[in-house]
Amino acid sequence: MPLTEHDVRDIAAYTRIGLTSDELTQMTKDLNDIIETLAPITRYDLEGVPPTFHPIGDLSNVMREDEPRPGFDTETALSNTGSTQDGSFKIPPILSGGDA
Amino acid sequence: MMTALDPAKLSVADITSGFAAGEFSAREMVDAAFEVIEQRDKDIHAFLELTPELAYAKATELDEARAKGEPIGPLAAVPSGFKDNMNQVGTHTTCGSAMLESYVSPYDATCVANIIKAGGLPLGKLNMDEFAFGSSTETSYFGRTMNPWDLERVPGGSSGGSAAAVAGGLATITLGSDTGGSIRQPAAFCGVVGLKPTYGVVSRYGVVAFGSSLDQVGPFGKTVRDVASALNALSGRDPLDCTSQECTVDFTANLEEGVRGMKVGIIPSLTFAEGATPEVRQAVEEAARNLEGLGAELVEVDLPHVEASLAAYYVIGPAEAFSNLSRFDSIRYGHRAQGCADLVEQYERSRAEGFSTEARRRIMLGSYLLSADAYNTYYYPAQQVRTLITRDYVEAFKKVDVILLPTSPRTAFKFGEISDPTSMYLSDMFTVSINIAGNGGISLPTGPGVDTGLPTAVQLVGPQFGDDVILRAAAALETCYDIPRVAPMCARGGE
Repeated sequence: MPLTEHDVRDIAAYTRIGLTSDELTQMTKDLNDIIETLAPITRYDLEGVPPTFHPIGDLSNVMREDEPRPGFDTETALSNTGSTQDGSFKIPPILSGGDA
Repeated sequence: MMTALDPAKLSVADITSGFAAGEFSAREMVDAAFEVIEQRDKDIHAFLELTPELAYAKATELDEARAKGEPIGPLAAVPSGFKDNMNQVGTHTTCGSAMLESYVSPYDATCVANIIKAGGLPLGKLNMDEFAFGSSTETSYFGRTMNPWDLERVPGGSSGGSAAAVAGGLATITLGSDTGGSIRQPAAFCGVVGLKPTYGVVSRYGVVAFGSSLDQVGPFGKTVRDVASALNALSGRDPLDCTSQECTVDFTANLEEGVRGMKVGIIPSLTFAEGATPEVRQAVEEAARNLEGLGAELVEVDLPHVEASLAAYYVIGPAEAFSNLSRFDSIRYGHRAQGCADLVEQYERSRAEGFSTEARRRIMLGSYLLSADAYNTYYYPAQQVRTLITRDYVEAFKKVDVILLPTSPRTAFKFGEISDPTSMYLSDMFTVSINIAGNGGISLPTGPGVDTGLPTAVQLVGPQFGDDVILRAAAALETCYDIPRVAPMCARGGE
């Protein structure tokens, strides 16, 4: 069943991408066109076939010793942000109408 | 300063041996490289940012090391460039996106550091489709890159700037990243060599992630040997990328060994797949005859599930991209919308303003595919199909050493010629399966197409960690073609 504009509005909200109503209409069409091309995935008998989430089969998790290593200083860590205060990232209120 | 050096005409070996022998200084090489860029890149627009201060600093270091008789590195004085999704301290790393227009890297990607450590001269950062989502470099926020063979055509993508820089003679070695064909397809369109190594051969640390189980960094060069030399510098275990692998192979060691006795897999059903143009098929058939003439045995193999690769890729890729691109939250770095009343508005406006349509499409598609119903219908089955595709390759490589395929279904297309996303996605039809399976593949130029006169190419695919074998086969096949690697219009003196 194709995605509706309502579905796509929900996806836009979930992915935090603000779309205009025209953009929403076009996006709904585009996503449905793309999803149609994914049909080959549904045509195979996959009973008992394990999934592959990673291309190199015999990798195991690699844990290093929990030893401190040098990292960014505060100035470097904040160098690409648009707004700082007292050595921290500054963001707008999390709840509307609150104080910054 | 005018110099007689023309880096466009020199291989890696020419440069490293000439520099070691004192025929020119590294500083003179930087002068020459930027002179060429100044002349040609106004037409090509391969570079998004030039880094002369970094290049001259490295040149000084190399010239001093040479004067003192200290080691100078296997890529000493080689003009190099990096795709703009690779972090390099002090440079902008934009990913071709408004989202990262003002982002300046605070650290080096391991691949960048390795090229510079080996002696490469860092000339600058190269254009790409936004966040590597594309096959034409038309989606870069900073304008398109032109194909040096025909300025009205695309260079391919997403690593279009990296391919065009080599084809335009602007750099000798460039780096790209390949998630579904983004090194091999632009290499094919621009008539240069492009290698996507086996997943894990090159560290991905510091490369802005698109599809973490698919992405791999690899080199572009004029010749197979140039690319093999670069891979020597790039490969190996990096403690900062837990998927990177130990690697002690010298990728240049066996390039002269030829293909006599080698078994080359051919797949007529794929070569003649719907969508491949006659000149592309002809290039593959000619390459097969050439390999046979060099003493290889052609063996028909079958990859029955590879037809599902494109669909699997357009499930797995967007799902991983959705996850990776969630880091662009406008807070720590990246575009930040102004005057927002609350945090959610800042997220939504920043991401809408910062991401172009294609990036939004992939993020939203990925989000949908990971939702409960779609996960069961598409995402989990795609990962099962991935197992079948991987098994196909494992079975095929029990019978053959390498597999010969087209790289791209067609030669370079004109700007704007492919506008709808699903048609553009077909550009990847011959390249995505090895990203899914994790194998390595190389695109080798095979001369002008009989119909378009534009560069054609073939692809050689190997088993996982058989990158030395595909380089050896490609080096042998390369000897059958006497073709320019730098576009004639870009050759100095109007050749």
